[in-house]
Amino acid sequence: MKIKTSLNRRNFTRGGLAMAVSGALTSTASGWATQPSRANKFKQAKALHPWLMGYDTASQDSFHAQATIQGAWPKELVGTFYRNGPARHEIGNFRYSHWFDGDGMLQAYRMSDNGVSHSAKFVQTYKYQAEKREGRAMYPGFASVPDNPSPVTSPDSTNVGNISVLHHHGKLLALWEAGSPWEMDEDTLDTKGIFSFAPQTKGVPFSAHPRVEPDGTLWNFGYLSNAKLLVLWHIDAKGKLVKVDKINVDPMGMPHDFIVTSKHLVIMVPPFHYESNSGPTFMDAHSWNPDLPCRVLVVDKNDFQNHFWVELPSQWVFHYGNGWEDEAGIIRFDAARASSPSVMTEVFRKVMQGDIAPSAASAHHQYRIDTKRKTISEAPMFSPTIHSEFPSVDPRISCRRNNLLVMLTRDTEQPALHSNLNEIATFAFDSGRLNTFRYPEHQLPEEHVFVPKPGSKPESEGWIVGTALDWKSQQTLMTVFDVRAVEDGPVATATLPYALPLGLHGKFVHA
Amino acid sequence: MMKIRIALGIAAGIYAMAWIQLASAETLNITLANITEANGLVMLEVFAAEEEFKGEQPAVASISQRAQTTAMNFSINLPKGEYGIRVMHDVNGNGELDANFVGMPTEPWAFSNNATGNFGPPKWSEVRFELDGATNQHINLNK
Repeated sequence: MKIKTSLNRRNFTRGGLAMAVSGALTSTASGWATQPSRANKFKQAKALHPWLMGYDTASQDSFHAQATIQGAWPKELVGTFYRNGPARHEIGNFRYSHWFDGDGMLQAYRMSDNGVSHSAKFVQTYKYQAEKREGRAMYPGFASVPDNPSPVTSPDSTNVGNISVLHHHGKLLALWEAGSPWEMDEDTLDTKGIFSFAPQTKGVPFSAHPRVEPDGTLWNFGYLSNAKLLVLWHIDAKGKLVKVDKINVDPMGMPHDFIVTSKHLVIMVPPFHYESNSGPTFMDAHSWNPDLPCRVLVVDKNDFQNHFWVELPSQWVFHYGNGWEDEAGIIRFDAARASSPSVMTEVFRKVMQGDIAPSAASAHHQYRIDTKRKTISEAPMFSPTIHSEFPSVDPRISCRRNNLLVMLTRDTEQPALHSNLNEIATFAFDSGRLNTFRYPEHQLPEEHVFVPKPGSKPESEGWIVGTALDWKSQQTLMTVFDVRAVEDGPVATATLPYALPLGLHGKFVHA
Repeated sequence: MMKIRIALGIAAGIYAMAWIQLASAETLNITLANITEANGLVMLEVFAAEEEFKGEQPAVASISQRAQTTAMNFSINLPKGEYGIRVMHDVNGNGELDANFVGMPTEPWAFSNNATGNFGPPKWSEVRFELDGATNQHINLNK
């Protein structure tokens, strides 16, 4: 299906209705059999390995509670931490066959003089509402297909809004990988509906990892696998669309995150190539090509059509910490680099039926692009036995030179009871020092973010704020570390009276 | 801006309904459902051959009617044979089926047999049906 570039009445009457629908809605095959035993297998495995409760469906449709504080909560740490993530994994007797298919639940941890309160609600997507109404799974997702699936007529008909959250110019948006943002009410967490930046961008994919510069300028990408199109977004600090454009990318991979510098956007397209109708699900319609290079697109921020490609050895990346560019046109950025997408294609599929596979095998690398010579190189940042993911930086130096990186890690030479990442770490580029705090065995940490101390200089003072699932006490807790001494452990924790499924990405918004 | 212009009964007057009556007829009953807004026009085209569906020949029937959120029913008398239907909902009444800048329709559409195609319009083989005696097509519009 080629994209029509000029639709008109003639196109319509010729049957050329160009439904340039993102590949996210693939799945024509209803033969991807439901595994009636998947839910039972998971239940049995969870009895043996209670930490698997992180992949269970949320125990309630909505949550609200006051947290119990331990330790000394920093008095300047006031605001709201939002987290999104998959939280409904079963509908009727159907359990999704992939973690990423879980319907999104948006959480808010509100920190004030009155302590920490928590609330959470499901993103009321078209899919969530229809399936709730019918009491059964109806639509194919990222890597799961129920029996007799209903047709997916646009990316947003299967958009579960479950990956991340963006707070920009007073708007709170729940983001998915390949569809529109869902606008949420900041106070009630109610879903307002699909959000469009402009009429001509209604329904155009806006991926889950937009980058916001210190002045509020917002950049993002989106992709339409079947149309082999990469969409690039430029939105100003007031939320106004400045420009949006498309670039043909063939073959199309599955870019998940990207890098912004003062002058360029950098998007890796791993050799996980999409071919229409080549698999029963969107994920399965991709093939991993370890002998092919990972292509890297470098785009001029001022003119999206001014771009060039460089190539790296085959590799897979979900997330980048930060990127920046010097006056000589040298770009540097870091990423959690894996040799293949097996964490997605295998680990997060197996875990849904309680099969435990090794944790994410991604190790942090730094990359260097010479924009004048059009070359790229990479080097590991620390021992490959240290696995890493969920990198974040001080938002005040986002897209500019940073020295400090916050991330989750795991020392693979140390045995652990569960297979997830189990440490929170800071890495300083100048000293090469990696400081870590290992969570207790009964706690599964989720993404942590750098929260600046108001009034301080960038990267000088602040906190690392994150959450963890305590599977032993069946409670979720928020942890606060001093960014200068993460190895000392949390300075304060806020414990909820309930457990939540493991989430994905979060965002802190100062009061 | 890429849009699909709809031939909206302009000559016949806005919101006029064009009936096609043919001799030796079988009755085709069409119900349109899942119309989410009572704004603008719903346009329905009936094709008797793949060439018509592809736009190489004019449709045998074309109806434009003001949208309503309750089910819309149409009865058309046509000779026995093979047909296909295409429906568009021009919500904002601008005479066009709006599309976003990458070509995805942003107004509702549908085809007979509720065919949805795969990353593009469905094939004739997916939308065609036999009209032989009174025949019903219940079509749900897609967003």
